[in-house]
Amino acid sequence: MDIKIEDWPPFKIVRLCGDVDLHSSPRAREAILDCLKLKAPLLVELSAVSYMDSSGVASLVEGYQTAKKQGLEFGLVAVAQSAMNVLKLARLDKVFPIHASIEERLESA
Amino acid sequence: MNASDLAIDVKNLVTHYGTRKILDGISFQARQGEIMVIMGGSGSGKSTLLRHLLGLHQPTSGSISLLGKDITQLSADAMYDLRKNMGVAFQGGALFNSMTVGENVELPLREHTRLDENTMRIMSRMKLEVVHLAGFENLMPSELSGGMIKRAALARAIVMDPRLLFFDEPSAGLDPVVSAELDELILILRDAMNMTIVVVTHELESAFKIADRITVLDQGRILMSDTVAAVRASDNERIQSLLNRTPRNEAINPDEYMERLTREIF
Amino acid sequence: MPDPLTSFVALVGQRSLQAVREVGYHAALLVEAFYWLLFGRWRRQPVRLSAVFKEAVGVGVNAIPIVALASFAVGMMLAIQGIYTLRTFGAEGQVVLGISLSVTREFAPLITGIFVAGRSGSAIAARIGTMQISQEIDALRVIGINPVRYLVAPLLAAMLLTLPALTILSDLIALFGGALYCAGELSLPMGIFFDRSFEVLVADDVIHGVLKSFIFAVIITLIGTANGFNVSAGAEGVGQATTRSVVLGCIGIILADMVFTFLMSR
Repeated sequence: MDIKIEDWPPFKIVRLCGDVDLHSSPRAREAILDCLKLKAPLLVELSAVSYMDSSGVASLVEGYQTAKKQGLEFGLVAVAQSAMNVLKLARLDKVFPIHASIEERLESA
Repeated sequence: MNASDLAIDVKNLVTHYGTRKILDGISFQARQGEIMVIMGGSGSGKSTLLRHLLGLHQPTSGSISLLGKDITQLSADAMYDLRKNMGVAFQGGALFNSMTVGENVELPLREHTRLDENTMRIMSRMKLEVVHLAGFENLMPSELSGGMIKRAALARAIVMDPRLLFFDEPSAGLDPVVSAELDELILILRDAMNMTIVVVTHELESAFKIADRITVLDQGRILMSDTVAAVRASDNERIQSLLNRTPRNEAINPDEYMERLTREIF
Repeated sequence: MPDPLTSFVALVGQRSLQAVREVGYHAALLVEAFYWLLFGRWRRQPVRLSAVFKEAVGVGVNAIPIVALASFAVGMMLAIQGIYTLRTFGAEGQVVLGISLSVTREFAPLITGIFVAGRSGSAIAARIGTMQISQEIDALRVIGINPVRYLVAPLLAAMLLTLPALTILSDLIALFGGALYCAGELSLPMGIFFDRSFEVLVADDVIHGVLKSFIFAVIITLIGTANGFNVSAGAEGVGQATTRSVVLGCIGIILADMVFTFLMSR
């Protein structure tokens, strides 16, 4: 799994690529929580995720909760189908703010 | 069928209990993402077959390949790794009575992963949400009803997102509404996670509802392993009597019958 | 109809075979439990310290009151009998020697062993037996947790830690009981009793008793767990296993005590 962190002011973007599984999800979790420490609104981009298991989703849940506590925006962008299935299984698709693309989120601001 | 698509490939399985032959030349396959129902009456050997699929016994002969690995030949370490991809929900739940529901569901994560404590908590709670047991994680198994125990056991079985899920008698001992919910859950899991699911049952209705293919066992042999439609259309006498729930009507040999009744009487 | 003699010989043969098989099973269990204690870490299945502590509280700390009470009574009883016997020779003064040696070398380890066998041997067999019939043992195995590592190894470690400690505690309390009676009967101040007692005792005497307690720890653990694992038939089986583990545990302790004392006293 690769993690890229980008700046799209005012947002921080965490881009996850590849398999987010039991081995790699701790790194994704760390990246998300670290970005939230910068007190910037955060979007997690998932278009290049080939597989995401529930440990990956759990990391997103923890990130969302942490952001909420600090009053920061947290959203998912371009969720790949496989990840979407896992989100839907736990009915989390109705919980996370999900955007089609980063541009879409920026324009709606 | 390409061999690499096969999640389960059993070849010529023969097993004994003591000197008694229980399974005789069992062969069947299941593809990744398929729901395979193993059916049969009591004494058909379906429980024994499941125990062998789980690697709990060593067969007399034959091979059992799960996810491309022959578990009859596998080293203990390789089997340990394979078990991360297998989830099992036992008939009676088999929840550990000394632990809370939440601890039960987290146990496989604790044993197999080094995830953060928060991640494990969230994962186990997510799975309890999936089986509609949200908020029950601090209860002890003894405080749950039969249907809740089965669902908690299912949550524990899927907490690692296994590629193979085994479910022993999901509807046994449950009222029709609860068992229909469990059937629904099995279908949802397969669709969301592309799991291969093996369900052992004697309930016809549930079998026809969830199965992609059905393997019918009778007296240690496979009568048929085929699609639902083919099993329904089969003209095999034993399968028909299973489907129509008619008692078996074997021909009587008067001499043997008398011998059985009067044996060891002097 | 087979004649009574042949069937008797056959029965003796079967029983012997069963006994040999059982001893073999216990030995294998012991080796495996030690294996996990020593090498579990490298097999990615460490025996967790928290589990050892939990067991140690269950089998050791919680046994303190009953072991203390029994030891006190035994110490006092030894003083009563000792003074009664020695009075015939007019040698009541030697009672301290008698009590000190018999308590440390014999009674403290034996009483501790038998009480722990009665208290924990049955509980262990009942717990593991219940887990066996509710398929919890199978559930452990399919999760990838070796039942011996998870259930037997921590218990064995806890027994090996707590039984010697309980034995030393029992030494002290039995001596206290003896001293108390002597103080009343012989007007022997307790301080003097203990001074004399520690004068006659050499390290060997205490070590002799403590060594025995290690052997008893192994016997109680193995008999309790083996009987638990071998439960097959329902609640009745659990009942039989608990009775059996207490009876065999106590007999095993007494026989082992005899053999050990014989070998060490030559």
